[in-house]
Amino acid sequence: MSYKCSRCKRDVQLDEYGGVRCPYCGHRVLLKERSRDVKTVPVE
Amino acid sequence: MMVPVRCFTCGNVVGEHWEEFDERAKQGEEDPQEVLDELGVDRFCCRRMLVSHTDLVDVVSPYQ
Amino acid sequence: MTEAYDVEFVERGDRNIRFLVRGVTPAFANGIRRAMVADVPTMAIDEVRFIENSSVMFDEQLALRLGLVPLTTPPEGEFAEDDVVTLSIDVEGPGTAYSGDLVTSDDLVRPADENVPIIKLKDGQRLEAEADAVLDRGKDHAKHQGGVAVGYRHLQRVTVGEDISEFEEQEAQIIRGVIEDDGELVLTSEFDHDLSERYPGKEVHVEDVPGAFVFHVETDGSFDATDLVTRAVDTIDSRAADLEEAVQL
Repeated sequence: MSYKCSRCKRDVQLDEYGGVRCPYCGHRVLLKERSRDVKTVPVE
Repeated sequence: MMVPVRCFTCGNVVGEHWEEFDERAKQGEEDPQEVLDELGVDRFCCRRMLVSHTDLVDVVSPYQ
Repeated sequence: MTEAYDVEFVERGDRNIRFLVRGVTPAFANGIRRAMVADVPTMAIDEVRFIENSSVMFDEQLALRLGLVPLTTPPEGEFAEDDVVTLSIDVEGPGTAYSGDLVTSDDLVRPADENVPIIKLKDGQRLEAEADAVLDRGKDHAKHQGGVAVGYRHLQRVTVGEDISEFEEQEAQIIRGVIEDDGELVLTSEFDHDLSERYPGKEVHVEDVPGAFVFHVETDGSFDATDLVTRAVDTIDSRAADLEEAVQL
Protein backbone atom coordinates (compact mmCIF):
# COMPACT_ATOMS: atom_id res chain seq x y z
CA MET A 1 0.00 0.00 0.00
CA SER A 2 1.40 3.39 -0.90
CA TYR A 3 0.94 6.33 1.38
CA LYS A 4 2.47 9.74 1.85
CA CYS A 5 3.72 11.05 5.16
CA SER A 6 1.87 14.24 6.08
CA ARG A 7 4.98 15.77 7.77
CA CYS A 8 7.95 14.93 5.53
CA LYS A 9 5.85 14.41 2.34
CA ARG A 10 7.82 11.28 1.43
CA ASP A 11 6.26 8.16 -0.09
CA VAL A 12 5.83 5.39 2.43
CA GLN A 13 5.31 1.67 1.86
CA LEU A 14 3.46 -0.05 4.70
CA ASP A 15 3.58 -3.75 5.50
CA GLU A 16 1.63 -5.65 8.11
CA TYR A 17 4.49 -5.76 10.69
CA GLY A 18 5.76 -2.20 10.83
CA GLY A 19 2.60 -0.55 12.15
CA VAL A 20 1.34 2.85 11.00
CA ARG A 21 4.44 4.99 11.16
CA CYS A 22 6.68 6.84 8.72
CA PRO A 23 10.07 5.05 8.60
CA TYR A 24 11.90 8.31 7.80
CA CYS A 25 10.58 10.76 10.39
CA GLY A 26 8.46 8.63 12.71
CA HIS A 27 5.30 10.63 12.08
CA ARG A 28 2.10 8.69 12.65
CA VAL A 29 -0.18 10.56 10.22
CA LEU A 30 -0.13 9.09 6.72
CA LEU A 31 -2.20 10.17 3.74
CA LYS A 32 -3.47 7.73 1.16
CA GLU A 33 -2.65 8.80 -2.37
CA ARG A 34 -5.32 9.03 -5.05
CA SER A 35 -5.32 6.01 -7.34
CA ARG A 36 -3.85 6.48 -10.81
CA ASP A 37 -6.89 4.84 -12.41
CA VAL A 38 -9.33 6.78 -14.52
CA LYS A 39 -12.50 7.15 -12.49
CA THR A 40 -15.84 7.13 -14.27
CA VAL A 41 -18.59 9.15 -12.65
CA PRO A 42 -22.18 9.36 -13.88
CA VAL A 43 -23.80 12.81 -13.66
CA GLU A 44 -26.72 12.52 -11.28
CA MET B 1 -17.84 26.54 -2.47
CA MET B 2 -18.13 27.51 -6.17
CA VAL B 3 -21.12 29.40 -7.61
CA PRO B 4 -24.00 27.12 -8.64
CA VAL B 5 -24.04 26.73 -12.41
CA ARG B 6 -27.80 27.10 -12.64
CA CYS B 7 -30.59 28.63 -10.61
CA PHE B 8 -32.02 25.96 -8.30
CA THR B 9 -35.58 27.02 -9.01
CA CYS B 10 -35.89 27.83 -12.69
CA GLY B 11 -32.76 26.31 -14.24
CA ASN B 12 -31.45 29.51 -15.78
CA VAL B 13 -27.65 29.61 -16.12
CA VAL B 14 -26.42 32.09 -13.49
CA GLY B 15 -22.81 30.92 -13.09
CA GLU B 16 -21.57 32.91 -16.07
CA HIS B 17 -22.55 36.20 -14.43
CA TRP B 18 -20.84 35.50 -11.12
CA GLU B 19 -17.41 36.94 -11.80
CA GLU B 20 -18.71 40.24 -13.09
CA PHE B 21 -21.26 40.49 -10.29
CA ASP B 22 -18.60 39.69 -7.68
CA GLU B 23 -16.22 42.27 -9.08
CA ARG B 24 -18.73 45.06 -9.42
CA ALA B 25 -21.17 44.59 -6.55
CA LYS B 26 -19.40 42.52 -3.90
CA GLN B 27 -15.80 43.80 -4.15
CA GLY B 28 -16.77 47.06 -5.82
CA GLU B 29 -19.11 49.79 -4.72
CA GLU B 30 -21.91 49.40 -7.24
CA ASP B 31 -25.52 48.76 -6.25
CA PRO B 32 -26.21 45.00 -6.57
CA GLN B 33 -29.71 45.71 -7.86
CA GLU B 34 -28.43 47.75 -10.78
CA VAL B 35 -25.68 45.27 -11.60
CA LEU B 36 -28.16 42.38 -11.69
CA ASP B 37 -30.52 44.37 -13.92
CA GLU B 38 -27.68 45.11 -16.31
CA LEU B 39 -26.58 41.48 -16.38
CA GLY B 40 -30.11 40.46 -17.32
CA VAL B 41 -30.74 38.38 -14.22
CA ASP B 42 -34.40 39.34 -13.91
CA ARG B 43 -36.20 36.82 -11.76
CA PHE B 44 -35.82 36.90 -8.00
CA CYS B 45 -35.03 33.18 -7.89
CA CYS B 46 -31.93 33.73 -10.03
CA ARG B 47 -31.02 36.96 -8.23
CA ARG B 48 -30.86 35.29 -4.84
CA MET B 49 -28.42 32.72 -6.25
CA LEU B 50 -25.83 35.45 -6.85
CA VAL B 51 -26.68 37.78 -3.97
CA SER B 52 -26.51 35.07 -1.30
CA HIS B 53 -23.44 33.27 -2.59
CA THR B 54 -20.01 33.34 -0.94
CA ASP B 55 -16.99 31.76 -2.61
CA LEU B 56 -15.36 29.35 -0.16
CA VAL B 57 -12.79 27.68 -2.42
CA ASP B 58 -10.03 29.92 -1.12
CA VAL B 59 -10.99 29.11 2.46
CA VAL B 60 -10.87 25.33 2.06
CA SER B 61 -7.93 25.13 -0.35
CA PRO B 62 -5.22 24.71 2.36
CA TYR B 63 -6.87 21.48 3.53
CA GLN B 64 -6.24 18.82 0.97
CA MET C 1 -56.46 18.16 -41.00
CA THR C 2 -53.92 20.85 -40.43
CA GLU C 3 -55.34 23.92 -38.86
CA ALA C 4 -53.58 27.23 -39.17
CA TYR C 5 -52.97 29.09 -35.96
CA ASP C 6 -52.69 32.80 -35.76
CA VAL C 7 -49.27 33.56 -34.27
CA GLU C 8 -47.98 37.05 -33.60
CA PHE C 9 -44.63 37.95 -32.06
CA VAL C 10 -44.54 40.52 -29.30
CA GLU C 11 -40.86 40.25 -28.47
CA ARG C 12 -38.27 38.31 -30.39
CA GLY C 13 -34.68 37.59 -29.39
CA ASP C 14 -32.37 34.60 -29.64
CA ARG C 15 -33.00 33.16 -26.22
CA ASN C 16 -36.08 35.08 -25.24
CA ILE C 17 -39.35 35.38 -27.11
CA ARG C 18 -42.91 36.38 -26.37
CA PHE C 19 -45.64 35.52 -28.82
CA LEU C 20 -49.41 35.46 -29.05
CA VAL C 21 -51.36 32.45 -30.26
CA ARG C 22 -55.04 32.69 -31.04
CA GLY C 23 -57.61 29.96 -31.37
CA VAL C 24 -56.16 27.32 -29.03
CA THR C 25 -57.72 25.69 -25.98
CA PRO C 26 -56.11 26.09 -22.55
CA ALA C 27 -55.34 22.36 -22.58
CA PHE C 28 -53.41 22.65 -25.82
CA ALA C 29 -51.55 25.72 -24.61
CA ASN C 30 -50.50 23.84 -21.51
CA GLY C 31 -49.53 20.85 -23.64
CA ILE C 32 -47.08 23.00 -25.59
CA ARG C 33 -45.70 24.44 -22.37
CA ARG C 34 -45.13 21.01 -20.86
CA ALA C 35 -43.56 19.71 -24.06
CA MET C 36 -41.11 22.63 -24.06
CA VAL C 37 -40.03 21.90 -20.51
CA ALA C 38 -39.93 18.11 -20.50
CA ASP C 39 -40.08 16.64 -23.99
CA VAL C 40 -37.53 18.36 -26.20
CA PRO C 41 -34.27 16.37 -26.41
CA THR C 42 -31.24 18.42 -25.38
CA MET C 43 -27.52 17.69 -25.27
CA ALA C 44 -25.88 17.48 -21.85
CA ILE C 45 -22.90 15.74 -20.30
CA ASP C 46 -23.96 12.43 -18.81
CA GLU C 47 -20.75 10.66 -17.86
CA VAL C 48 -17.36 12.03 -16.85
CA ARG C 49 -14.06 10.15 -16.74
CA PHE C 50 -11.60 11.79 -14.37
CA ILE C 51 -7.97 11.26 -15.28
CA GLU C 52 -6.67 13.72 -12.73
CA ASN C 53 -8.48 15.82 -10.17
CA SER C 54 -6.40 17.39 -7.43
CA SER C 55 -8.84 20.27 -6.89
CA VAL C 56 -10.70 20.86 -3.64
CA MET C 57 -13.96 19.47 -4.99
CA PHE C 58 -14.93 15.82 -5.27
CA ASP C 59 -15.21 14.12 -8.67
CA GLU C 60 -18.97 13.75 -8.23
CA GLN C 61 -19.46 17.45 -7.52
CA LEU C 62 -17.44 18.44 -10.57
CA ALA C 63 -19.33 15.92 -12.70
CA LEU C 64 -22.62 17.55 -11.72
CA ARG C 65 -21.26 21.02 -12.48
CA LEU C 66 -20.09 19.86 -15.91
CA GLY C 67 -23.44 18.20 -16.52
CA LEU C 68 -25.36 21.41 -15.86
CA VAL C 69 -23.37 23.43 -18.41
CA PRO C 70 -25.71 24.03 -21.37
CA LEU C 71 -24.46 22.59 -24.67
CA THR C 72 -25.66 23.60 -28.10
CA THR C 73 -27.99 20.98 -29.50
CA PRO C 74 -27.64 20.12 -33.21
CA PRO C 75 -30.65 20.46 -35.54
CA GLU C 76 -33.27 17.73 -35.40
CA GLY C 77 -32.27 14.54 -37.18
CA GLU C 78 -28.50 15.17 -36.94
CA PHE C 79 -28.15 12.95 -33.90
CA ALA C 80 -29.99 9.90 -32.68
CA GLU C 81 -30.94 9.56 -29.05
CA ASP C 82 -28.01 7.31 -28.09
CA ASP C 83 -25.22 9.08 -29.99
CA VAL C 84 -22.31 10.27 -27.90
CA VAL C 85 -20.16 13.39 -28.25
CA THR C 86 -16.94 13.53 -26.27
CA LEU C 87 -15.70 16.71 -24.64
CA SER C 88 -12.44 17.04 -22.76
CA ILE C 89 -11.07 19.53 -20.28
CA ASP C 90 -7.51 19.97 -19.11
CA VAL C 91 -6.68 22.94 -16.90
CA GLU C 92 -3.75 23.41 -14.56
CA GLY C 93 -3.64 25.85 -11.66
CA PRO C 94 -3.22 28.58 -10.70
CA GLY C 95 -6.36 29.71 -12.51
CA THR C 96 -9.99 28.88 -13.02
CA ALA C 97 -11.42 26.14 -15.21
CA TYR C 98 -14.29 27.56 -17.26
CA SER C 99 -16.94 25.84 -19.32
CA GLY C 100 -15.23 27.45 -22.32
CA ASP C 101 -12.19 25.24 -21.66
CA LEU C 102 -14.18 22.20 -22.75
CA VAL C 103 -12.81 20.96 -26.07
CA THR C 104 -15.39 19.21 -28.19
CA SER C 105 -15.01 16.39 -30.69
CA ASP C 106 -17.96 17.65 -32.76
CA ASP C 107 -18.37 21.34 -33.50
CA LEU C 108 -22.16 21.08 -33.48
CA VAL C 109 -22.04 20.38 -29.76
CA ARG C 110 -20.11 22.93 -27.72
CA PRO C 111 -20.72 24.88 -24.52
CA ALA C 112 -23.41 27.52 -25.08
CA ASP C 113 -22.04 29.69 -22.28
CA GLU C 114 -18.28 29.91 -22.06
CA ASN C 115 -17.95 31.86 -18.84
CA VAL C 116 -19.31 29.45 -16.27
CA PRO C 117 -16.64 28.80 -13.64
CA ILE C 118 -16.28 25.06 -13.03
CA ILE C 119 -13.59 25.09 -10.35
CA LYS C 120 -10.91 27.42 -9.07
CA LEU C 121 -7.50 25.74 -9.11
CA LYS C 122 -4.62 26.66 -6.84
CA ASP C 123 -0.93 26.31 -7.59
CA GLY C 124 -0.13 22.72 -8.59
CA GLN C 125 -3.74 21.57 -8.76
CA ARG C 126 -4.97 20.08 -11.99
CA LEU C 127 -8.21 18.97 -13.56
CA GLU C 128 -8.11 16.59 -16.48
CA ALA C 129 -11.27 14.84 -17.55
CA GLU C 130 -13.21 13.48 -20.48
CA ALA C 131 -16.97 13.76 -20.69
CA ASP C 132 -19.65 12.10 -22.77
CA ALA C 133 -22.60 14.21 -23.85
CA VAL C 134 -25.84 12.51 -24.83
CA LEU C 135 -29.25 13.55 -26.10
CA ASP C 136 -32.09 13.18 -23.60
CA ARG C 137 -35.25 14.84 -22.32
CA GLY C 138 -36.07 17.19 -19.47
CA LYS C 139 -38.31 14.47 -18.09
CA ASP C 140 -35.28 12.39 -17.13
CA HIS C 141 -32.96 15.04 -15.78
CA ALA C 142 -33.19 18.81 -15.35
CA LYS C 143 -29.86 19.25 -17.18
CA HIS C 144 -31.67 18.20 -20.39
CA GLN C 145 -34.29 20.88 -19.92
CA GLY C 146 -34.01 23.29 -22.84
CA GLY C 147 -36.78 25.66 -21.79
CA VAL C 148 -36.26 27.82 -18.76
CA ALA C 149 -39.21 29.48 -17.03
CA VAL C 150 -41.65 28.79 -19.84
CA GLY C 151 -45.14 30.12 -19.24
CA TYR C 152 -48.22 31.63 -20.76
CA ARG C 153 -50.96 34.06 -19.83
CA HIS C 154 -54.28 34.98 -21.28
CA LEU C 155 -54.26 37.98 -23.56
CA GLN C 156 -56.16 40.70 -21.73
CA ARG C 157 -58.49 43.10 -23.45
CA VAL C 158 -58.72 46.56 -21.99
CA THR C 159 -61.75 48.76 -22.52
CA VAL C 160 -61.72 52.33 -21.33
CA GLY C 161 -64.89 53.43 -19.58
CA GLU C 162 -66.01 56.75 -18.23
CA ASP C 163 -63.99 59.35 -16.39
CA ILE C 164 -63.74 58.74 -12.68
CA SER C 165 -65.54 61.32 -10.56
CA GLU C 166 -63.68 64.43 -9.51
CA PHE C 167 -63.43 63.63 -5.81
CA GLU C 168 -62.41 60.04 -6.18
CA GLU C 169 -58.79 59.10 -5.88
CA GLN C 170 -57.47 56.86 -8.61
CA GLU C 171 -56.13 53.54 -7.38
CA ALA C 172 -53.28 51.66 -8.96
CA GLN C 173 -54.51 48.80 -11.13
CA ILE C 174 -51.73 46.29 -11.51
CA ILE C 175 -51.76 43.70 -14.30
CA ARG C 176 -49.01 41.70 -15.90
CA GLY C 177 -48.53 40.24 -19.34
CA VAL C 178 -49.75 41.72 -22.59
CA ILE C 179 -52.87 43.81 -23.12
CA GLU C 180 -54.89 44.39 -26.24
CA ASP C 181 -56.00 47.95 -26.68
CA ASP C 182 -58.02 48.56 -29.85
CA GLY C 183 -56.25 45.70 -31.60
CA GLU C 184 -52.80 46.94 -30.56
CA LEU C 185 -50.64 44.67 -28.40
CA VAL C 186 -48.93 46.44 -25.51
CA LEU C 187 -46.53 44.92 -22.99
CA THR C 188 -47.54 45.87 -19.45
CA SER C 189 -43.91 46.69 -18.62
CA GLU C 190 -44.25 49.70 -20.92
CA PHE C 191 -46.46 51.42 -18.35
CA ASP C 192 -44.95 49.90 -15.20
CA HIS C 193 -47.68 47.21 -15.04
CA ASP C 194 -50.11 49.86 -13.79
CA LEU C 195 -53.18 50.67 -15.88
CA SER C 196 -53.75 53.94 -14.03
CA GLU C 197 -50.45 55.15 -15.51
CA ARG C 198 -51.65 54.52 -19.06
CA TYR C 199 -55.21 55.76 -18.60
CA PRO C 200 -55.12 58.46 -15.93
CA GLY C 201 -58.52 59.60 -14.74
CA LYS C 202 -60.41 56.84 -16.55
CA GLU C 203 -62.29 53.77 -15.49
CA VAL C 204 -60.74 50.71 -17.06
CA HIS C 205 -62.20 47.26 -17.53
CA VAL C 206 -60.02 44.23 -18.12
CA GLU C 207 -61.17 40.88 -19.44
CA ASP C 208 -59.46 37.75 -20.72
CA VAL C 209 -59.67 37.13 -24.45
CA PRO C 210 -60.90 33.56 -24.87
CA GLY C 211 -58.51 31.24 -26.72
CA ALA C 212 -55.71 33.78 -26.94
CA PHE C 213 -52.50 33.05 -25.05
CA VAL C 214 -49.29 34.99 -24.74
CA PHE C 215 -46.34 32.63 -24.31
CA HIS C 216 -43.09 33.67 -22.75
CA VAL C 217 -40.27 31.31 -23.71
CA GLU C 218 -36.68 31.44 -22.56
CA THR C 219 -33.99 28.88 -23.36
CA ASP C 220 -30.74 27.97 -21.65
CA GLY C 221 -28.84 28.50 -24.91
CA SER C 222 -29.17 24.98 -26.30
CA PHE C 223 -31.08 26.36 -29.28
CA ASP C 224 -33.04 29.44 -30.35
CA ALA C 225 -36.29 30.01 -28.51
CA THR C 226 -38.29 29.75 -31.76
CA ASP C 227 -36.54 26.44 -32.39
CA LEU C 228 -37.62 25.19 -28.97
CA VAL C 229 -41.26 25.95 -29.71
CA THR C 230 -41.29 24.19 -33.06
CA ARG C 231 -39.45 21.18 -31.65
CA ALA C 232 -41.92 21.01 -28.76
CA VAL C 233 -44.83 21.01 -31.18
CA ASP C 234 -43.10 18.30 -33.21
CA THR C 235 -42.79 16.09 -30.13
CA ILE C 236 -46.51 16.46 -29.44
CA ASP C 237 -47.17 15.58 -33.06
CA SER C 238 -45.04 12.45 -32.96
CA ARG C 239 -46.55 11.35 -29.66
CA ALA C 240 -50.02 11.78 -31.07
CA ALA C 241 -49.01 9.70 -34.09
CA ASP C 242 -47.64 6.99 -31.77
CA LEU C 243 -50.89 6.96 -29.85
CA GLU C 244 -52.94 6.70 -33.00
CA GLU C 245 -50.88 3.75 -34.11
CA ALA C 246 -51.15 2.08 -30.71
CA VAL C 247 -54.94 2.20 -30.55
CA GLN C 248 -55.46 0.90 -34.06
CA LEU C 249 -57.05 -2.52 -34.13
